[in-house]
Amino acid sequence: MIQVRSVSKSFGRVNAVSRVSFDVARGEVVGLLGANGAGKTTTIRMITGFLPPDTGSVAVEGFDTLRAGESARARVGYLPEAAPAYAEMSVEGYLDYRARLFSMKRGDRRGAVERSLTRCDLAAVRRRRVGQLSRGFRQRVGLAAAILHDPPALVLDEPTSALDPRQIREARALIRALAADKAVLVSSHILPEVEQTCDRVIIMAGGTVRVDAKPRDLIGSLREASPYVVEARGPADRVSKAAAAVAGVERTEVIGSAEGWTRIRLFGRSGQDLRAAIAAALTSEGMPIRELTREAPSLERVFLQLIESADGAPPPPAAAAGARPTGAAA
Amino acid sequence: MRGAWTIAFREFRSFFRVPVGWLTVALYLFLTGVVFANVLVPGGTATMRDVLGWSQFFLMALAPAVSMRLLSEEFRSGTYEALMTSPVGDVSVTAGKFLGGVLFLKAMFAPTLLYPLILLAVSDPRPDLGPMVCGYLGLVLLGAFYLAFGMLLSSLTSNQTLAFVSTFLLLVLYRVATSERVIGGGLVPIPPGLARALAAVAPGPRLDDFAKGLLDLAHIVFFLSATAWFLMLTFVALEMRRWR
Repeated sequence: MIQVRSVSKSFGRVNAVSRVSFDVARGEVVGLLGANGAGKTTTIRMITGFLPPDTGSVAVEGFDTLRAGESARARVGYLPEAAPAYAEMSVEGYLDYRARLFSMKRGDRRGAVERSLTRCDLAAVRRRRVGQLSRGFRQRVGLAAAILHDPPALVLDEPTSALDPRQIREARALIRALAADKAVLVSSHILPEVEQTCDRVIIMAGGTVRVDAKPRDLIGSLREASPYVVEARGPADRVSKAAAAVAGVERTEVIGSAEGWTRIRLFGRSGQDLRAAIAAALTSEGMPIRELTREAPSLERVFLQLIESADGAPPPPAAAAGARPTGAAA
Repeated sequence: MRGAWTIAFREFRSFFRVPVGWLTVALYLFLTGVVFANVLVPGGTATMRDVLGWSQFFLMALAPAVSMRLLSEEFRSGTYEALMTSPVGDVSVTAGKFLGGVLFLKAMFAPTLLYPLILLAVSDPRPDLGPMVCGYLGLVLLGAFYLAFGMLLSSLTSNQTLAFVSTFLLLVLYRVATSERVIGGGLVPIPPGLARALAAVAPGPRLDDFAKGLLDLAHIVFFLSATAWFLMLTFVALEMRRWR
């Protein structure tokens, strides 16, 4: 549905995006992640036809955004980050205006506006001026405008950043529902949000795609390298020594001791689950355990590792395992 | 051109939803009202020449007040991105914004049509309608020309104040540079070639002809082509914004 093929974009001497490629298929929600300056917004602007790529191409439902710009743009619903709308217009007036821009016929227009108002829970404020609304409502107005013409592709830049928890849950459900017959690209800084909403994540750094993978693959690969946390009764040196003796444990560090209990962190070789062995080793040494767990990996950790690796550190194991090659087309 | 009228009508209506729109209309009606009050004297000539003549100068400030928000406001508020990612082209955006501004100017002029009606009611002999109609045509053409020029400057900045001030100052400079005193060499000595060039683009004598009721096709073409020229430059400025 959305095909991005080796697009690059420079602003003067700054290479904002370099040879980025990916696809977003119908029925798929793809999260676009990256630190500020990673090239997300430039990539999104090329997909929506706001910026032309210097090289490469972007197509929406087969329509090239340069050669068939109007046809391509007609097939994209776009929510820009700040959800801009004309402050002096009423909510339904603004939606009607957007529907006219998309050349919707009068009869269709009325129905589309009503549907959008209902889906985005805006019926109560339909006659209010956009400028009088809270940021959360304005964001919903932007989302309503994006889905108004029932486009096959949706590009949402930070769609939930101004919403309260209840609205976030509703927006998440709406995005999932919309994805049933659309290709959805969501840019977000709220990583748990992406984790729960997206089928796939694309992580950008330095203007290139670093990872293109499913969230569970990314997290799963990270889980293999996750450290263990153990709390056992005994002095720190004994607990640490007994745990370090377990085959596969590479390193231990003491987190702290209190009231006879010691808490340590163990780092093991990836690909092994050492919990049973650690428990057996400590209890056989007469040190009862009251906690043994692995630190839960999250997309946030993958993201942070990738950002750090983009700054010069070696790439993390999670970035490689389970992920598609950097910059490769999906 | 798809979407141009949609953009134009939105733009036109938006002027009446913001204070600057109402202030512009109120100021224009107040100023022309003062001029008209001085026309309405017993024994005076029943003519709109004063109102239309002064309107040319009022437009130097009022047209920039209209044009300043046409594109600068879109850039500032971020709505430009939403507009340009809808299936309308730069031509439609340029044309729509301009038409919206022209519609507003016409709406601003419309209440002053009451003045000729008053003159028709109270004057004996009745005033000649030809110069009035031509005068209004000249005023609309001049307003469109100023708007197109102001829109070009509005397309270059996201700061409305800067767009207003630069348009106003350049229009004042234009009117001074093409005034009879400058062209005739009375104010500052200028080379004859430059004087001829300035005379060719001077709006004053053309508007004088309109005010006299002379409908010269050359004058109409002058204003229309000058307007088209600045609209084309605005279109180029928007395209460059996309590509730079």
